[in-house]
Amino acid sequence: MKSQTWRLVITGVLIVLAFIGFWNTLKLWTLSEADKDRMEELKPGSVNELERKSMRLGLDLQGGIHVVLRVMMEKIEPSARADAVERAIQVIRNRVDFTGVTEPIIQKQGDDRVIVDLPGYTDADRAEDIIGQTAQLQFKLMETYENAEILLGKIDSVVAEVRKTDTTQMIADLEESSSEQFETGDITPIDESDSTSDEEDIFAELLGEDSADFEEEFYSSETNPFTQYLEQWLRSSKSGAPWPAYYVLGKDRAKLERMLAMPQVQSIVPPDIQIAWSTRTEVRNAQDVYILYVLKSKVQFLGKYLENIKMGRGQFQEPTVDFRLTGQAAAAFARLTGANIDKPLAIVIDEKVESAPIINSKIRNNGQITMSSGATIQDAKDLEIVLKAGALPAPVEIIEKNVVGPTMGSDSIRKGLISTLIGLALVVVFIGVYYRLSGLIADLALLFNIFFLLAVMAGLHATLTMPGIAGIILTVGISVDANILIFERIREELRTGKTVRASIDAGYNRALLTIVDSHVTTLITAGALFLFGSGPIKGFAVSLFCGVTISLYTAVVITKTIFDIRKGYKTLSI
Amino acid sequence: MFRILKETNINFIGHRRKAFLLSLLLVLLGGTAFVMVLLDKANMGIDFAGGTMLQGNFENPISISDLRGAITGNGFPEASIQELERHNVPNSYIIRVKETTAGEMKAIDRLMQIIQENFAENKFTRDSEHTIGPAVGETLKKSARWAVLISVLGMIIYIGLRFDFRSGVAATVATFHDVLAVLGIFFILNKEITLLVVTALLTLAGYSLTDTVVVYDRIRENLKKFRKKGEFVGTVNRSINEVLSRTVMTSVTSLLVAISLFIFGGEVLHDFALALMIGIVVGTYSSIFVASPIVVEWEAKAPRRFK
Repeated sequence: MKSQTWRLVITGVLIVLAFIGFWNTLKLWTLSEADKDRMEELKPGSVNELERKSMRLGLDLQGGIHVVLRVMMEKIEPSARADAVERAIQVIRNRVDFTGVTEPIIQKQGDDRVIVDLPGYTDADRAEDIIGQTAQLQFKLMETYENAEILLGKIDSVVAEVRKTDTTQMIADLEESSSEQFETGDITPIDESDSTSDEEDIFAELLGEDSADFEEEFYSSETNPFTQYLEQWLRSSKSGAPWPAYYVLGKDRAKLERMLAMPQVQSIVPPDIQIAWSTRTEVRNAQDVYILYVLKSKVQFLGKYLENIKMGRGQFQEPTVDFRLTGQAAAAFARLTGANIDKPLAIVIDEKVESAPIINSKIRNNGQITMSSGATIQDAKDLEIVLKAGALPAPVEIIEKNVVGPTMGSDSIRKGLISTLIGLALVVVFIGVYYRLSGLIADLALLFNIFFLLAVMAGLHATLTMPGIAGIILTVGISVDANILIFERIREELRTGKTVRASIDAGYNRALLTIVDSHVTTLITAGALFLFGSGPIKGFAVSLFCGVTISLYTAVVITKTIFDIRKGYKTLSI
Repeated sequence: MFRILKETNINFIGHRRKAFLLSLLLVLLGGTAFVMVLLDKANMGIDFAGGTMLQGNFENPISISDLRGAITGNGFPEASIQELERHNVPNSYIIRVKETTAGEMKAIDRLMQIIQENFAENKFTRDSEHTIGPAVGETLKKSARWAVLISVLGMIIYIGLRFDFRSGVAATVATFHDVLAVLGIFFILNKEITLLVVTALLTLAGYSLTDTVVVYDRIRENLKKFRKKGEFVGTVNRSINEVLSRTVMTSVTSLLVAISLFIFGGEVLHDFALALMIGIVVGTYSSIFVASPIVVEWEAKAPRRFK
């Protein structure tokens, strides 16, 4: 094949690839809020999924909180400093997990710092609590299975009752509004008992023929609205007695949290019982599950008494986490464990349960927690870190806090978009007027450049920031420069009396080296900024780097391909 | 053919002495600013120096001087207050102070308190805030220094590979000239040096070097054609004139882009765009009046065929 054909084929393939890369982002950007709500209703989590596959927006564009913490090493004993940052990160991660932030970033920076990014989260004061507090590690006993089941049964009926009243209320409201429609100005007050008795009729009226099916589904889920999401699993190793620890699918957690937060539910949970979540998810049958525990509220033992916590190996080489106790603490722990053999002891950090190992024997000085079968080294490592976080708290201080309000973010997007479009339009018109038809070819290349750039950033799931938008605009300048170099050269060649064809070819050949030069200098800067820039600046470096690289193709190859579509030229509009 | 510039024959090199004087002034200014930055005496942004930014809007219009008076009179004498143009959010202001604490309180809380006390009738909604401790500023300074160092090194290596010694030195001088000139002008205007401004300066270095490279490429090409003695100055002048229309066109398009960013890009990118605008003008000037004349002077002092 000739090189011209190759260029056309490659350009075609690139366009298709760009569309594929850009597809999700394009879809996300064109959805209205109402569309998103509808999508979310049809398939929960689908909007998040789409966001995960699209170009990411930086905190400066979507709003959110960026915090830099310093672990206060001077307040930690020298022997405990080594993994203090990891402990702090583990504690923060446990807490952030419960904020519902979709893509949090929690990472170590330097020797003693932690960066926490919470995109879309703008409750600055709560964020400070989540991030800044020192961890509390406690040991608690579990409630008996029987008592727990009674409580959960009560929660079921309370939730069902609340829902029923709400439905009745909803129907009453409906009735009221319909009577309002017909009897304007004369609203008949509706007797509550009356409306309840009318309930089924109204359902039938509202739903027509399908009402029977609907009612069946409606009422069956109403009998155990809470416990239908629970699956009991924990049993004593010797007696096989069940304990109130339940698997909950990750997607159901928010529903249960809403039910538990109902004032009516909270009022029936006695003060000596505590319902607590696991610190993080486990994978079970290829699904993320949380564990819901029913604990006795009383704190049995404090994590700060644990000493010498480290990972070890059990008698069958299974991973364990070992610790030591001394003095009074050892005696207290011996009493606690001695009295509760074959019962689980919950390790609770920040009111969340890290794990609930069964007590095998009385522990006085040397404790060993054997990980359950199937647990990995990483699980043991996590437990070790959590125990240490409680025993050797790593106090942190906030040294940078950046809160970008959501309206500020959308304002920035708007300004970025407007300035990009105006800058682009000015350049397109200027080049089009000055270089005529050739200018339009350059303009086309420019639009390809921006399209490819957005596609690459979307495909790489790169982060777009406000300076990143500036980088895109600068790419326009650099890309156009390549075409200016070529066109000016072609004009010069034409002036020396060469044919149009020869002038075009000479223009491209002679300008190429200079164009590569100009691109290299920009790439050096972009590279250095990428290596050392933080957040927004990195966004600038990314878009500049990608844009300049792409412009080498669009401004040189694509325009040449268009010029080469015709073989002979008598005149050239340039 | 539509042309801004007909074939020109301007004696740029002939004006080099005047240009050197102007450049000397700009570089001295920039050098002073650079020393001030190193001594921490320049007007550094809160991202480098540490400090607090609060941004929000009042329900009803206020006078900015009242707001300024309230803030500066209550323990933040160096506060900077700006009105912010926002879509659908009138009476928006941005307040920057160099402090992160005020007595026992956090500076951000103290600022909120001052506003509530002085504008009790007028509800103030906090939208964004940024508190940067001095330690973070130090880290940012360090990474900015690294970024500058790496790009300078990268460019010098590139120049070394691409040019002979003389033009390499001249190109480096021209690039430093441009960056220092913009820094100096920012210093005179008392603009804050922020991370974004440093980013703009580095971007400009790349831009300015490109302009110089274009001229040098042409000089090199023309020198192959004219090998007779005594034609060096003429060849350099001719080369500058030949690429002049490209230089002007590129500057104009880049300026269009930077101006649109300056006018419509909002507060965040304002100074960034300003630095770019100044830099584009200075970069164009230096590729004509600084980079090439240095080579000419050098050739005059120690004649040697320009490669």
